[in-house]
Amino acid sequence: MRVKQRDANVAEVDMTPMIDIVFQLIAFFMVITNFENTRADERVKLPLNAIARPTEAPREKDLVLNVGYLRDNAGNVVQDSPDALLFHGDGQNYPIPEIDPVLSKEARYFTDEGTKLPDVTVVIRADAEVPSGQIQELIAKSQTAGFSLFAVKAQQEE
Amino acid sequence: MKFRGGSKVEKIAPQMAPMIDVVFQLLIFFMLTLKIIRPEGEFGINMPLSGEPNPQQDTLLPEMKIRVLAGPNGGLASLQLNDRDLGNDEQAFADLTASVRRIAGDTGGEASDELSVEIDPDYDLNYRWFIQTVGAVSGDRLPDGTTVPLVGNIKFAPARQPR
Repeated sequence: MRVKQRDANVAEVDMTPMIDIVFQLIAFFMVITNFENTRADERVKLPLNAIARPTEAPREKDLVLNVGYLRDNAGNVVQDSPDALLFHGDGQNYPIPEIDPVLSKEARYFTDEGTKLPDVTVVIRADAEVPSGQIQELIAKSQTAGFSLFAVKAQQEE
Repeated sequence: MKFRGGSKVEKIAPQMAPMIDVVFQLLIFFMLTLKIIRPEGEFGINMPLSGEPNPQQDTLLPEMKIRVLAGPNGGLASLQLNDRDLGNDEQAFADLTASVRRIAGDTGGEASDELSVEIDPDYDLNYRWFIQTVGAVSGDRLPDGTTVPLVGNIKFAPARQPR
């Protein structure tokens, strides 16, 4: 028997609404993703302050120093040492009295790439429970390494 | 002239699959790299190297000295402006801001570089009180939410010895 061929009915899914939604989601995540804060360490619980304001223009050269304590899941400090730790970008943690080599290395890096150290801002992100004296020591050590511009970070209070 | 079969329009469907693949990859990337953090602000600190001339040294107004004393466990024991005790509560910081604002006068909407403050905290003082002191001299927050900038030249005293 001869069967008459017919065009197969292909059910086409309308993709337009899905693509619309997906592009909306991508745009949303792109806008709220803050690439500026990729150097911020989540272990540092910044102090709150209502007066602190973000900088109007991003800096060209800065050195971000995250200072805090190792904490457990409940947020309690887990280390025995009384010294706060510098959470460095190399994955190591350095007690504040031992950070001179780290700062010298950073200073050498900026000098080698042709940046003058007085043009580099040292941005200090310190935990609210760190003793102030250790931050002053950190600043003094940074000055010894050749840095002279500083900024201290705080979380904006609503 | 007559064309044979001209009435049949051939529909060309673009390949959507590769685009959807890429779009989903992007979506997953942005979802995974998203870190929800509250916005951060900052305060500029003037700490010239020792031996360098400090342009703020020749200002007309005398430098204000703020002493922040620590209590047990790094709490705030006392806030002092030029050796005058202001207390150790929220009102102390409000009084500090009011005193600085009286000295600053009308800053014209910008932090005054004529004004200089040196903050001298105890070694053990929790950093949050240190930042609150910096905030109290940096600006005055009005009830309508606007901030009047005050001192433009803040520096820290050398660290004291721990207890």
